[in-house]
Amino acid sequence: MLLQVNFKSGLPIYLQLVEQIKAAAASGALRPGETLPSIRPLAEELRVNRNTVAKAYSELESLGVIETLPGRGCFLKENHSALRKDVRRKLLIVEIDQAIVQAHHLQVPRDEFLELLRQRMDVLDGKRRSNGNNKEAL
Amino acid sequence: MTSTAPAIQIENLSYTYGRNEAVHDLSLTVQPGRCYGLFGRNGAGKTTTMKCLLNLLRPQSGKVRVFGLDPTKHEVEVKRLLSYVPDQVAFYPWMTVRETLDYLASFRPQWNRKIEQELFDRFGLDPAQRTASLSKGQRTQVALIAAICPETDLLVLDEPTSGLDPIVRREFIQTVIGAYQQGIPGKRTILVSTHLITEFEGLIDEFTIIDRGRVVLTQDSDHARQSYQKIRARFAQAPPDLDFKTALRVRRDGRELELIANGSGPQLMDLLREHNPESLSSESLTLEEIFVATLKS
Repeated sequence: MLLQVNFKSGLPIYLQLVEQIKAAAASGALRPGETLPSIRPLAEELRVNRNTVAKAYSELESLGVIETLPGRGCFLKENHSALRKDVRRKLLIVEIDQAIVQAHHLQVPRDEFLELLRQRMDVLDGKRRSNGNNKEAL
Repeated sequence: MTSTAPAIQIENLSYTYGRNEAVHDLSLTVQPGRCYGLFGRNGAGKTTTMKCLLNLLRPQSGKVRVFGLDPTKHEVEVKRLLSYVPDQVAFYPWMTVRETLDYLASFRPQWNRKIEQELFDRFGLDPAQRTASLSKGQRTQVALIAAICPETDLLVLDEPTSGLDPIVRREFIQTVIGAYQQGIPGKRTILVSTHLITEFEGLIDEFTIIDRGRVVLTQDSDHARQSYQKIRARFAQAPPDLDFKTALRVRRDGRELELIANGSGPQLMDLLREHNPESLSSESLTLEEIFVATLKS
């Protein structure tokens, strides 16, 4: 899994790593049981503070996305959402509201926005399916 | 020495060379385990500040403490707790690399041979080579090995990568992250002074910008990048004449506007949005851009 950081995004570096790994898990780019890069080589490669990577991993662990097996490294968890359904919905609502506000400012009308949402979900589903196919092909 | 003492504490430090005031009323605190950047232009007072930590200079006024100890009174203890890579590295020219490291190791209570070998391999250094014939890059690599192997709680780097080629610079920073930071988390503190800010960006937790010996800005890196924004807007006609008093800088060209904001980014975005720009975007400033914006405004 190849991660990157962008100092111009305004998002704290550790959160950028958290978001990328969550996105990779959602799209199937990272599959349950697969290992994540270990902290030292990843920190060296990205040239970021080791503590930043450690903070990202412990955040992902507390969110239930990954688990650390002593001596074996970090893995993506099988069923990785440890949060209750209503909590998960609440978290998602915040993100949706932001997108709606943004759509308003960019003058994207309601129907177009909903259609766009459907399209994006299809694209992501497609990605997940093709990642799954690769797995079968292997 | 107490375990709760900051790694470095400087209070109201001033230092004057003759009539030239190098450092004026400077204060900063570095907590253990942090990587702290000291940014400034050439001659801003970075090296003078660091020399006061190492007792190479005695503060003329103010207080300097390293893990709670006064370097002027406890020089030996302080030097045992820290290692230092200066901008100009000098070794005895008749010694080989091996002899130089053995000589330096003899002053240290501990020396990690495993890390030493790892770094020799990484840099491809020849232990039998005389230090007189080392390149500037290799000299810095030997100095870095000598700073990392004693496994001190504090690593002080004074302009360590200036004058080095980009590959050696990268390796230097990766070595600091990989080999030095692999110690007990929360116990490996770094103070680095540099004007090559971009390369150290990912490493630095917190920083102080100094100019003409005075503190201009002290901030947490993530927080600074959230607060400092560059906003770009383009309008269909000439941009409206708006109140941009909260912006640090405003550039106009034809139908385009570029604002630099510190903290007021969201309000300025809202203000611009009300006037229906054709396009509107914002991005964070990097630490180097923050450095430039701070010193130019």
